[in-house]
Amino acid sequence: MTYGVLRRPDAAFPPLLAQLHDPPRRLHARGDPVGVLEQPAVAVVGARSCSAYGAQVARTLSRDLAAAGLVVVSGLARGVDAEAHRGALDAGGTTVAVLGCGIDRDYPARHAELARRIVAGGGLVVSEYEPGIEPAPWRFPARNRVIAGLALATVVVEARERSGALITADFALELGREVFAVPGEITSALSAGTNRLIRQGAAPLLGAEDVLAALGLEEAPAPRAEVTDAAAGVLAVLADGPRGQDELVRATGQATSAVAAALVELELAGLAAEADGVHRATRLPERAA
Amino acid sequence: MLARATTHALVGLEARSIEVEAHLQRGVPAFAIVGLPDKGVQEAKERVRSGIASAELEWPMRRITVNLAPADLRKEGSGFDLPIALAILAASQQIPLDRLDEHAALGELALDGRIRPVPGAIVAAEAARAAGLARLLCAAESAPEAALAGVEPIPVRHLAEAGAYLRGRHEPEPVAEPSPYAGPPLPDLRDVRGQERARRALEIAAAGRHNLLLGGPPGTGKTMLARRLPGILPPLTREEALEVTRIHSVAGALPAGQPLVEHPPFRAPHHTASTPAIVGGGPGPRPGEATLAHRGVLLLDELGEFPRPSLEALRQPLEDGSVAIARIGGRLVFPARFLLVGTMNLCPCGARGDPAVECSCSAARIAAYREKLSRALLDRFDLVVTVPRARSREVAGAAGEPSSAVAERVMAADVRLRERPPPIGEAAAAMIARAIDSLGLSARGHARISRVSVTIAALAGSGQVAPEHMAEALSYRSPSELAAAA
Repeated sequence: MTYGVLRRPDAAFPPLLAQLHDPPRRLHARGDPVGVLEQPAVAVVGARSCSAYGAQVARTLSRDLAAAGLVVVSGLARGVDAEAHRGALDAGGTTVAVLGCGIDRDYPARHAELARRIVAGGGLVVSEYEPGIEPAPWRFPARNRVIAGLALATVVVEARERSGALITADFALELGREVFAVPGEITSALSAGTNRLIRQGAAPLLGAEDVLAALGLEEAPAPRAEVTDAAAGVLAVLADGPRGQDELVRATGQATSAVAAALVELELAGLAAEADGVHRATRLPERAA
Repeated sequence: MLARATTHALVGLEARSIEVEAHLQRGVPAFAIVGLPDKGVQEAKERVRSGIASAELEWPMRRITVNLAPADLRKEGSGFDLPIALAILAASQQIPLDRLDEHAALGELALDGRIRPVPGAIVAAEAARAAGLARLLCAAESAPEAALAGVEPIPVRHLAEAGAYLRGRHEPEPVAEPSPYAGPPLPDLRDVRGQERARRALEIAAAGRHNLLLGGPPGTGKTMLARRLPGILPPLTREEALEVTRIHSVAGALPAGQPLVEHPPFRAPHHTASTPAIVGGGPGPRPGEATLAHRGVLLLDELGEFPRPSLEALRQPLEDGSVAIARIGGRLVFPARFLLVGTMNLCPCGARGDPAVECSCSAARIAAYREKLSRALLDRFDLVVTVPRARSREVAGAAGEPSSAVAERVMAADVRLRERPPPIGEAAAAMIARAIDSLGLSARGHARISRVSVTIAALAGSGQVAPEHMAEALSYRSPSELAAAA
């Protein structure tokens, strides 16, 4: 395992991070920091107790961003953060986890394996704190400022009215960086924070291409999956919203076995996903058609 | 005077021949039973004494010693009452010795001399036949069961009747042929509205004997669906029926008036059941729910509520189809090849997966709830289906397909699977190879999905497993949030 320390006046210290009005003096890294923090990065953050929708969006979005060559930065927390890291790893991309404790702590403990995969995949686990420092709630806002500082743009996937992810967005705004919010249902408490961000002027995020366009990057040509007619029919119904499998059987008039097969086909093609028995499309219908 | 009667003691699911010797001596009147009798057998003294008196026979005023041989085997239960009484009557020359020698005997005595049935009559009858005894004296209620074993049952209602028969003064009533099953009808799938996916999963589970895990919020009909599984399983063959009957007889679980278990059994132990109650055990080891569900269905409703040791204990029967119970005195093996159906909520409060209610469980609680099912146990479920809350218009929908129609398809597939299971086609193999990479399947998951795909192809009557069969099989894999703590 490689460890590295970046010190502020050094040339290797990320210049974006140095733009914070109180940048950290040092940045400890698990993994080899050389080169990683110079690549364009996007922060994907959000609620710990996210919905299936939030988890799905975080994962798909990060996968697409990583596939386009961006580094995905997040906080290794439960929920949106973990899904963002996983999405980037799915695409074989690089991802950076910023901790609010020493980099030798596995916090949260359940993500020890995820952290290991992040480093193995060429990514980093970084922290401004010395190794050995225990996690504490009052360190998380400071951690969020590092997340915002490392990224060219920040995407908030799901956030309640008072959420740490909104603090990250505030830091990004202070730095004059782009802030995106994923729109959610106006009745969902989990989307109250993100919807408010949009009202305050954050760009609503409809897909990875929005981020790429804002950063002036070319969108990686999306592999257009060929699907069978049965799968296309199921996808057309899913475009209206998430459905259980029994509802899909009735809506399409296809056999139960055919719908089950179609859903697996869509999942393998990355066009649909399932959580708790409910299936949802992972892309906007006109792009998937 | 010395006399002997033959009976049988249950050891697990088998019966051992026991010689009941009664010896009468001069001396102070006394009555002793030796030969490792347990408390229940010791109490036979009082029942036998009262029974003989009530039958208006004579209680010999002698020193009576009853020995149960072999003396090193622990004797349990009340089935020794009748043979002990008969041996004492023969020793006191109230019934002829040579007539008694031609019979095995089994039954409990009431204080008024009536003879009550005891568990395991069919097993005792089989052992009697194996020992070359053609006739079994038993309670009238046990007679149809004993007849299944191929011995001639002599149904006796009262000790006086048994005495009269052995003296040649009473003709036993002929044993009626057991009437076909006349119990309540099995629950029918016709009662289930909507639930297309879960119904399909039941059909696949029945055809390929795949263990099934039903997840979903409470009130979505998971238990109702599971109870309808025995109705679509292929019926038991004669051998299977006898095997199941033997188990249920020993456990005393045979319904009255139904000597032969013709339908695959259905057992649904509550989650408060102890581990020995589920897998079998106890001092004189008795079959547990897993064995009672042999060749049928074991439903574990609210799987997450079962204590972890009980669930872990089920791994052996799921793997080997049998339960081994080791004791200092020896090792018993009970068959336990059952189809396991589990149901569980998606979270401890039960609201997850229900659009109408918001789940209040913390992520840590959900993880703890799901982690209770070890990976190893979860790996035994070939089919995992989440049953979401049905909408009101579905509940009001048309009645579903009846069980008889589903059972026909299951039977046809069962025959195909036994005769010539469809091989996995090239395109289907390519599909699962792709799925391993993109869905993160384990080698075990791979094997499980392949098995299910073969069953699906057999249900479709296809010559080989096509990609659509494989795709459908993949849709029943355990979801990733169960596979790894989120």
